[in-house]
Amino acid sequence: MKHKFTARSRMFDIISDDASLLSSVSRFGISLGLGDKTVQEACTVNDIDCNTFLSVINFLTEGNVELQEEFNEVNLETVIGFLKNAHSYFISYKLPLIREKLNDAVPVDEPTDPYKIVLLNFFDEYVDEVKKHMEYEDKTVFPYVLNLLKGELSTDYKILDFEDHHTDVDSKIAELKNILIKYHPSNSVNYKLNDVLFDLLGCERDLAMHNMVEDHFFVPAVEVIERKLSKLTN
Amino acid sequence: MSDSILKIAVADPSAIIRSGLSALLKRIQGYHIHTFEVNSIEFLASNIRTHKPDLIIINPTYWGYIDIESFKSENPSSQLHFFAMLTGLTDEKITDQYSKTLSIYDDAESIKTKLDAIFAFSKPEENDESQALSAREKEIIVGVVKGYTNKEIAVNLFLSTHTVITHRRNIARKLEIHSTAGLTIYAIVNKLVELSEISQK
Repeated sequence: MKHKFTARSRMFDIISDDASLLSSVSRFGISLGLGDKTVQEACTVNDIDCNTFLSVINFLTEGNVELQEEFNEVNLETVIGFLKNAHSYFISYKLPLIREKLNDAVPVDEPTDPYKIVLLNFFDEYVDEVKKHMEYEDKTVFPYVLNLLKGELSTDYKILDFEDHHTDVDSKIAELKNILIKYHPSNSVNYKLNDVLFDLLGCERDLAMHNMVEDHFFVPAVEVIERKLSKLTN
Repeated sequence: MSDSILKIAVADPSAIIRSGLSALLKRIQGYHIHTFEVNSIEFLASNIRTHKPDLIIINPTYWGYIDIESFKSENPSSQLHFFAMLTGLTDEKITDQYSKTLSIYDDAESIKTKLDAIFAFSKPEENDESQALSAREKEIIVGVVKGYTNKEIAVNLFLSTHTVITHRRNIARKLEIHSTAGLTIYAIVNKLVELSEISQK
């Protein structure tokens, strides 16, 4: 099936068409200053498998799971690199930044303001959960898939086990958003806190997109390989 | 529950019908609907295994006879429903096994009525009164925040564990807070507890 973006689309058009794709583009290692490069050209320069790049970008644009027939052309190593970059973005950059802003935005009357303590505590617990989840993928799921690509089929692990493990990390960020909107004690407008809320909303959406790639793109593609391998070995 | 997610697979050979139906489903009030589009019957079984949909909306005639029972067995742990998507006149016999039938002329409201009949997620708008916490519910929040188990809370308040669980479910619904850490913030803001009383786990 024809998709929205092709190898000949301009990178510029992809990003300006939907700015939320910028984070995905950069997770493939493609940086700004793209001039009029096409997808093909940008991928070649950055040594990225062009089909895989397009499959992910089109999947995110169309939000549609129609890709089964194309999974053969997807390079899973490239997808794993993409997912790992997303993990380090959230864990090492975005979430610490939001914490810093949150810390900065909540005024304290006294050094041991209980509200601020429990609020930051909530945020830290949330970050821990995200970390645990992403580390599990980095340490267990991705190595398993890389072995699959070498033709090694594990007998005691299947990608479906991963799905069972895949609890919704984004429900907790939604809760923090609810708490700030409904229960934050204040009597004046706090632009800094609004900023934190916008960040949380953006992060929530970004994480949801990331999980969508994992659940509805990566996992089905891995299942295809599992099935192929188990047919070969049986 | 108001925040339950309904996963719906839309299986139809027509891209226009699939995307049209997906767009319409997202407009239905009272549901968080996630849709997956399936363009070929071959992918339906693996789709059921992978995405575990609650409902499949499918054209009952296009792909010939559809063995609903065998599809249901792909994911035996959950109650999977089938709605028939009718684009023209169809013999009633064909849609016998489907929970409901949709027509391409249905609007969001009539689809909602059909969903409501099967999935009791949506509820009448609540008035403010039912959103306020009762004294009992506040006591239970204090217990949770202090780190007591449901059983310990039940013993302390002379309730059954079952009652405590029901209260907790109502608290989560009213406050839109589900985690203990979230309830802790609520309890501190509303001065139900002191910082020193909170369990440090």
